[in-house]
Amino acid sequence: MTQRTARRLSPLTPVVRSFIVVVAAGTTVLRDITRGDLGPTAVMFALLLLAGGAYGVASWVRTKFWIEADELRVDTGVLSRQSRRIRIDRLQGIDIVQPFVARLFGLAELRMDVAGGSAREGSLAYLPLSDARELKDLLLARRDAVREAAAPDPAEASDAAAPAQPATVPDRVIARVDLQTLVLSILLSPETLSLAVFGVGLLVVFIASGTWLGVSATVPVFLGMGLALFKRFSGNYGFTVSETPAGLQVRRGLFDLNTQTIALHRVQGVVVSEPVFWRALGWARLDVSIAGYGNGAGDEGPSASTVLPVGDRRLVTQLAVHVLRGTDPEQVALRPVPRRARWVAPVVHRTLRTGTDERLVVSREGWLTRRTHVAPQARIQSLRITQGPWQRRLGLADVHVDSPPGPAKVRARHRDAAEARRLFDVEVAMGAWARRQLPTGER
Amino acid sequence: MNDLFAPPGNDWRPVSPQLRRLRRAVLSAVLVGLLLALAGVTVVLALPTGLVAAAAVALVLAAALGWFGIGRNVRFWGYAERDDDLYITHGALFRELIAVPYGRMQFVDITSGPLERAYGIATVRLHTASPRTNARIPGLPAEEAARLRDRLTELGEAQAAGL
Repeated sequence: MTQRTARRLSPLTPVVRSFIVVVAAGTTVLRDITRGDLGPTAVMFALLLLAGGAYGVASWVRTKFWIEADELRVDTGVLSRQSRRIRIDRLQGIDIVQPFVARLFGLAELRMDVAGGSAREGSLAYLPLSDARELKDLLLARRDAVREAAAPDPAEASDAAAPAQPATVPDRVIARVDLQTLVLSILLSPETLSLAVFGVGLLVVFIASGTWLGVSATVPVFLGMGLALFKRFSGNYGFTVSETPAGLQVRRGLFDLNTQTIALHRVQGVVVSEPVFWRALGWARLDVSIAGYGNGAGDEGPSASTVLPVGDRRLVTQLAVHVLRGTDPEQVALRPVPRRARWVAPVVHRTLRTGTDERLVVSREGWLTRRTHVAPQARIQSLRITQGPWQRRLGLADVHVDSPPGPAKVRARHRDAAEARRLFDVEVAMGAWARRQLPTGER
Repeated sequence: MNDLFAPPGNDWRPVSPQLRRLRRAVLSAVLVGLLLALAGVTVVLALPTGLVAAAAVALVLAAALGWFGIGRNVRFWGYAERDDDLYITHGALFRELIAVPYGRMQFVDITSGPLERAYGIATVRLHTASPRTNARIPGLPAEEAARLRDRLTELGEAQAAGL
């Protein structure tokens, strides 16, 4: 299977990389040439274009990649040469990303997620889309082969493959967000609501005073929020979730096309969000914390952590169960907080819930957007109890479940103090037990 | 201390009284500095004595409160090594209890600044994959800090669990 022949990226790579510059400088030069007066700026631009083009071609010529001895090797650099080696057995996931310009040319970027590496270390940009897909499959298949050879442990072999499926089964689409639902979900989000309230407020001031008071100051805010909402639309356009042997695959994007595979054994927790208007429609959103991905963009637009931006609650629960590998957060009994918590959290205390079972720990809070945070017991990093002076007077305390960075943050706020300590002790024991149940291969 | 922050099994191991001395020394130095600055300003601007006396009294009172607070805070620090995890408690006003499983520790480090070194103490920090873990024990005697680090590292390697 070893490919000893070195391959190159797509020859269009330099064009795509500097598309904006090429277009801008090119049009300037062309305009001047057609006008007949080649001024000093145009000459400079032309020279810059030539130099940049030469560099781009040189960089393309000197960039090669090949697979050798279980490593993907990438040689780059025009003046100083760099040689990068990516261990194939360390590959966690491979994402195919298509930025807008690359998409125009039918090209894609291959992003490799390497264990131990802080961020995405390896990237190959750009390859023809079909080549990118082929290379991705080849690398993943090779990784599984290498891993299996290294540890002939059945648990190990099955962790990469989702629920016992032969690798030849085609991807099965689990969920797809249609345009209507996406648009409606954005219109019914708390952000749109605040935007509307804001607008009405300005209108009222205008009618009352006859001047557009504070408009100049608020226009950038409006634009920013509108842009964020549009980004959420364009980023989540055509959102498709499918099941592949490597994990859940998410595809989305109107301009920039994103393909991302979520390896289930890397999931550290999930969040189900239900904004107030969505609840009436029975809609929810699902985000996951993935080891190494860090904090997603949260609520500002689509992020790498979103598994489903909007969907029926039942579907979201189903997906959550899938992502949590068969454990159902809905089965965990949630308990409210004591009534005296209203003195510290006048509104929110009604929505605070916490529950735990032998596999999961769950907390829920929030009224405008109700968020249910779930963490598997086996993935708990550390546990904390905190108590401020005011809570002490009321006999309340918070229990925090620390997970790796990501949207899922389980915390039991304002519990009865005795209950908080009981929960803490139970979680400490449960976490230790659950960690021992983890297959040894899951490192 | 109440039940909520009760030690698991045995008593909490306290931190060194040197931590209290260090913090009080810093507090005294700051107080002296502020009083000197106040005296200087008084001479230069010829401020009324009543005002200056009130300011000086306020400073001394604040320092006294800090003196008392440092004693209380240092008394509340404690840690306990268990079979599978390390418990740490701290805070007099805002109390906290932390449990870090050895299997989740990514690394342990010791820091000791010039002041801490002068008092023969060090701070041990535990890092997990979660930045919120925030587990540290200040004011450990240098040899106890080294012992704790070595033991934690050893246990961490023995019990390491994947993410």
